[in-house]
Amino acid sequence: MLFNSLGFMVFIVVVLALYYSKLFNWTNKKRMLLVSSYIFYGLWNPPLIILLWISTMVDWTAGKKLAVETNAKKRKYWLLLSLCINLGFLAFFKYGNFLLENFNAVLQIFGTSYEAPAMDIILPMGISFYTFQTMSYTIDLYHKKNKPAKTFLDFALYVTFFPQLVAGPIVRSKELISQFYDEKKASLNQFLWGCFLLTVGLFLKVVMADSLLASTSDDVFGSDKVLNILDAWSGTLAFSGQIFFDFAGYSTCAIGIALMLGILLPDNFRYPYAAIGFSDLWKRWHISLSSWLKDYLYIPLGGNRHGVTRMYAALMITMLLGGLWHGAAWTYVVWGALHGIFLVVERLLNNRIKIKINNWNGILFALLTYTCVNISWVFFRAKEFATAKNLLQSMFFMNPEGEEILDTWAILKVIIIITVTFLCHWYMRNSSMKAKAENTNPMILGLIWGVLLFFILIAQGSGEQFIYFQF
Amino acid sequence: MNLKQSATMAILLALIGLISWELYWRSNGYYPTIEDNDALWAAQRKRVDTPNPNDVIFIGSSRIHFDIQLDKWNLYTGLSSIMLAQPGSSPLPIFQDLVENTEFNGTIIVGVTPGLFFSTTYPEARPWKWAQSKVDYFYKQTYAQKFNHLLSIPLQEQFVFINESEMDDAINLKSLVNKFKIGNRNDSKDPPFFEFSDYTIERNSRMTIKCATDTAFANTIKKVWSVFMLDTTLPPPDKNSTTKFFLEQAKKFEARGGNLILVRCPSSGILRDGEQMGLPRERFWDSLISVGNFKSYHFEDIYETKNLDCPEWSHLSGPDADLFTEVLANLLIEDKALPNLNTN
Repeated sequence: MLFNSLGFMVFIVVVLALYYSKLFNWTNKKRMLLVSSYIFYGLWNPPLIILLWISTMVDWTAGKKLAVETNAKKRKYWLLLSLCINLGFLAFFKYGNFLLENFNAVLQIFGTSYEAPAMDIILPMGISFYTFQTMSYTIDLYHKKNKPAKTFLDFALYVTFFPQLVAGPIVRSKELISQFYDEKKASLNQFLWGCFLLTVGLFLKVVMADSLLASTSDDVFGSDKVLNILDAWSGTLAFSGQIFFDFAGYSTCAIGIALMLGILLPDNFRYPYAAIGFSDLWKRWHISLSSWLKDYLYIPLGGNRHGVTRMYAALMITMLLGGLWHGAAWTYVVWGALHGIFLVVERLLNNRIKIKINNWNGILFALLTYTCVNISWVFFRAKEFATAKNLLQSMFFMNPEGEEILDTWAILKVIIIITVTFLCHWYMRNSSMKAKAENTNPMILGLIWGVLLFFILIAQGSGEQFIYFQF
Repeated sequence: MNLKQSATMAILLALIGLISWELYWRSNGYYPTIEDNDALWAAQRKRVDTPNPNDVIFIGSSRIHFDIQLDKWNLYTGLSSIMLAQPGSSPLPIFQDLVENTEFNGTIIVGVTPGLFFSTTYPEARPWKWAQSKVDYFYKQTYAQKFNHLLSIPLQEQFVFINESEMDDAINLKSLVNKFKIGNRNDSKDPPFFEFSDYTIERNSRMTIKCATDTAFANTIKKVWSVFMLDTTLPPPDKNSTTKFFLEQAKKFEARGGNLILVRCPSSGILRDGEQMGLPRERFWDSLISVGNFKSYHFEDIYETKNLDCPEWSHLSGPDADLFTEVLANLLIEDKALPNLNTN
């Protein structure tokens, strides 16, 4: 079910009505939330709920054993069981065909005529998100950094909690499970702030991403022509805006909906396009994934504890796998590799050149970072390397005879939106929406809220899926 | 932070804005109408899976969609109808789906618009792809999408602002924003294409009164057809492979007791001349009918319909579509071409 759909509006009203009614005690309210979460997921493809159940059962059992088992070997086996099943699902459902394609390509290199037939596999929505979430639970228990969930219901709800089930934020168990222990009820102000966040999230998705930017990005990345520099940059900038508004929109909705239930979810975005450098970017973009990768991949790979070379290798491996996490294609791996290289270069430069960042040079560094981010987006969005190559050549003056496919308005629209977005991110860099709202006259805030609502209503759209659902 | 005050203000503002928006578009001649989208098509396609002996399925392109008025059809034949025709598309992918994936063995009436019927069997070509996309959507439609469709229908029936259309007169934000024009960079030479039909939940399509009565408006649609006719990049018709494909499917369908009827709906003006030149009746329609020995009805062979005039060259106005439906229904009854009727 999509947040930007009529069905979801009915769903959330029913869930909230049941949640705040006096019909249920807290345990039954949690049961109701769990059933609602399965309905939320099952309305997309009911049989795939079984995967969620298996993941839940395996990690619940492994977690329980890890909490009491003292034998180191047996503890390792329980952890391995959890990792194998979760990563096995991911490997089969998400990377099955990708692995097969590469297997066939290798066979061809060796001159074998055999070709393994492609499998007809459905990618379960949000599998990468809930798999990472449940894995963090067992890994933390293995390292004794966490306590097991008190009841199966609390754990199942942690795995399945509908606001963040299909596209995050990827929440750690200690941040969420403990919130299920005591009855939660949003205060009126919390509830209304949740509604405001839901409105902002829908505005970002429906108006900014789908109505204003998607068509330009689709036209440019869908074109099979060699493009003019302006068109190539406009398409790339449009995509940078589209993916931010789409994903930040989803996260904001998720946080808002959870808050309406009295549950707090962590921030997932912090004005990323104002990042100064790539370390800063990854503290601001998809924070829950980057911190997951840091804690469960980069640090176990050695982090910065074993010298510079090993640190750079760990960084590169983390970013390559981070790229692959986004999708089963080599273009995503290149995207991850680029970010790895950017991070390595940044660290190398940081060790040699010391620059004091102020407001004046800061914005220039942020602009430089954003430009590099855009180069990486080309690989993220392009379906094939040939498209990415053509676009990059066009962006860097190598196709002077490139074709013009966008009209002036489409280019101007992108330039205006992206400039305003970049300046907004810069302005909000060290602040938060809540802090700004607290200092705003309630009537002015109401005016802004009303305008956002109005634009959502007249935009509607045909319920475009969130980009990150495919990951 | 006094969010109660802000929320009240927001709801009031959004409501005032929305009411003004709705009234503004109504004052500009817009009225609530059903969107002919994938979900609406899928809802009709679903009916094929629960067979009713009285069902007659219509497939084809926009002509049969406009020219058969379902209420009149039901009135004159007493049979129910399932409208699966898809504008701008070849009927072949939908026919293939009905033959291969259902057990339907009643009557299928195929509207033959020569330029689309004989266009292609290449899966990536637009006339095929558009029709196939409907079939694919039907099989992939989620429960959430069905639920959304169910909820959206009463809203579409009541409000003008609920509008997902991508035509040039659409009033959703995306369409309105994309309508702005500055300068002449990559200036599109394509004429604007406006909505000229009203739809019902049953997918009945009826030409708007504006298109039927306002010559200037009808001329805007004629311009669109002219662009298609003069488009030298379009591939030539592929008579052999389309005919072969249709015959194979027709054979399978008739072998299980299915009843197939082919109908050529009216066209007029330059479009008809162009069709006669590019896809002459003798070489295309007559040839198809003779090799398949199908029951067939060509508007030129029927006294009451041979001189019907299409306001925009390709589709009949509402009243003329009523007449066409009545004449066709009576002919089919007279010819005992509808076995459902005979057994009833």
